[in-house]
Amino acid sequence: MATITRARVAEGLVAPWVEWERRCPKGRRLLEAGTYALTEGAIAAGCRVFAGYPITPATDIAEYMSKRLPQVGGYYMQCEDELAGMHACAGASLGGLKAMTATSGPGYTLMHDAYGWALTNEIPLVVVDAMRVGPISGITGAPGQGEFYVARYCTHGGNFETIVLSPSSVQEAFWLTIDAFNLSERFRTPVTILTDQVVSDMWEDLFLPDADEHLDFVVPRKHNLMMPFYPLGGADLDVPPNIIGRGTGVCVSAYTHTEEGYDIEEMEAQWAQTYRLVNKIRHHRDQLSRYETIGLEDADVVAVAYGADARTVKTAVLEARRQGLRAGFVRPITLWPFLDELYERDCHYVVCELNYDGQLVREVMRAAPDRAKVHFMGKSAELHTVAEVVAGLQGVARAGRIPELPYIWTEVR
Amino acid sequence: MNKLAAKYLRPSQIPTKACHGCGIGMIENWILQAIDELGLKQEDVVFGTGIGCVGRQTFATWGGDNFGATHGRALAVATGLKLAQPDKKYLIVVGDGDAAAIGTSHLIHAARRNLGVVVICEDNMGYESTGGQFSPTTPAGYVTNSSPYGMVEPSFDPCDVVKAAGATFVAETTATQWHQTVKIVKRALQNDGFSFVHVRFPCNENFGAYALGTRDTLKNLEWIYEHTQGRKADGGATDFVWETGIKHDASNSRPEFTKLLRDMNARVRAERTAAGAR
Repeated sequence: MATITRARVAEGLVAPWVEWERRCPKGRRLLEAGTYALTEGAIAAGCRVFAGYPITPATDIAEYMSKRLPQVGGYYMQCEDELAGMHACAGASLGGLKAMTATSGPGYTLMHDAYGWALTNEIPLVVVDAMRVGPISGITGAPGQGEFYVARYCTHGGNFETIVLSPSSVQEAFWLTIDAFNLSERFRTPVTILTDQVVSDMWEDLFLPDADEHLDFVVPRKHNLMMPFYPLGGADLDVPPNIIGRGTGVCVSAYTHTEEGYDIEEMEAQWAQTYRLVNKIRHHRDQLSRYETIGLEDADVVAVAYGADARTVKTAVLEARRQGLRAGFVRPITLWPFLDELYERDCHYVVCELNYDGQLVREVMRAAPDRAKVHFMGKSAELHTVAEVVAGLQGVARAGRIPELPYIWTEVR
Repeated sequence: MNKLAAKYLRPSQIPTKACHGCGIGMIENWILQAIDELGLKQEDVVFGTGIGCVGRQTFATWGGDNFGATHGRALAVATGLKLAQPDKKYLIVVGDGDAAAIGTSHLIHAARRNLGVVVICEDNMGYESTGGQFSPTTPAGYVTNSSPYGMVEPSFDPCDVVKAAGATFVAETTATQWHQTVKIVKRALQNDGFSFVHVRFPCNENFGAYALGTRDTLKNLEWIYEHTQGRKADGGATDFVWETGIKHDASNSRPEFTKLLRDMNARVRAERTAAGAR
């Protein structure tokens, strides 16, 4: 296969892979699916265990993994359910191997049990949720964006922060998966890739760095071989993950724990553990900014969208600008922690997302200077059309409100 | 502290928070005896557990590496761990809730795969840490805090379930049978595959108090022993009988699950090397 040279980075994109692409000149150019890119990204990041349960539209990740992992000395395990899948990933990660699972909404719901265990015990792993329209089984082959908050509050009990990333193209799915693994290692926490049926199933141009090229930006797995196993009360990054099976005497459990990992029922221990779980992420928000913007300098109205939906919304913003509207565009890639700083401009916001209840829009309302100027364009089961979003942007710019459009919901109460 | 506890357990974590007269500590001591007689060291064994009486009382007592999973998921965690650390022995010490109720699907599939772990199901015949509700192993008809008129469901025998699913070693014993239990745990640890050991023990505070009408440890132990013999102290027959001993021994008769995966990987990689693939 011919070696190609490429540098194709969107302007206005802030993400570590802008630099990574420049550092990987040699590779292969393919036409592949998002699920393929997610798989190859994981393998490039050093993932050696996949444990999960097939579900549309994430099934192809399982199938690709079953083929690829044995080739690189890894293990594919098809579990009895998603509970087993994510717990087995946590077990494998505790044993020293990087691990990933992938699912869609109905399976994601079953993973909250394991999320809590992995979060509390600071176990690095990556979970892909390819969202489809719901609630529950919904339409298996239609995109949705219903897990924006569920991914943030991915287990019960509170007292934690989460890292959630969302790609909008096949190429980005590849780089972002490496990034997700890196963050999970550095922050010692499960990281969620919140993608959707369109990005998962879509076939697109994909550049893969050569397999023999050393990817020096991949964060390798390290092992914590001594006490403290849980540095409570601190917020440090890059604490090596704990390992079971090396005779360190580490204790890992579902309970509030001491530095040794012993279960304890004292408030001071609870507060110290909570401090770390929350602040290791809050205190390092500067390391978590990934987003794309257009025209924020002069925009009167800014369209906000993420994932696959951001593709038509971005095209609509460019079209509106061509028509003379001062339109802007924000695509958060890091969904959580929420990037409040992207909404500092005092202007109108049009938030497009694939649900009727309004999830992302509520966070934009909270972050924007004037929540009265935040407008909702909710759609269900299919992407916004460019024409719909252009009409929405024009309506807000001219009359301060979204015009009535079929199948578009604007109420958020 | 006895010599075995000093050798294998964590002084800071024992005695446990178990109730007076609980059988959990006694069974753990017998497990230590089996480990010691096999010459295993702390670093050879990973100790996994779950939630409830057995989980809470045994977690972090083992001097080596420990994990306490969410309720029912100890075997799911162990499946991933065994992939990553295949050379360790895994003692999965759980109660009847973890093994026979909330985690039954993982138990069945671990047995089917012949995952190389030893499950010790310490069964106090109900959910005693939440106050004594019935479980799938509570004898039918008995009174508990959630079956005040007698449990109407039939109970099931987890040994039958794992045997049907493909476990390579299955045994049943009780907290009244010291030497038999030590012998069984030793045999279980020598199987490079899925071993299941069911150990019934008395709960004085709840099952004993509500089902049997006594908090007397010796009386509760005696009730269990009588049911292993089928005969009461007064010579009459018991209402049912528990057959104890080794119920199925096909130790080392088929490959362990993670070995199958490692062998497949070796074959795939050899074929790719032979084909000149990158």
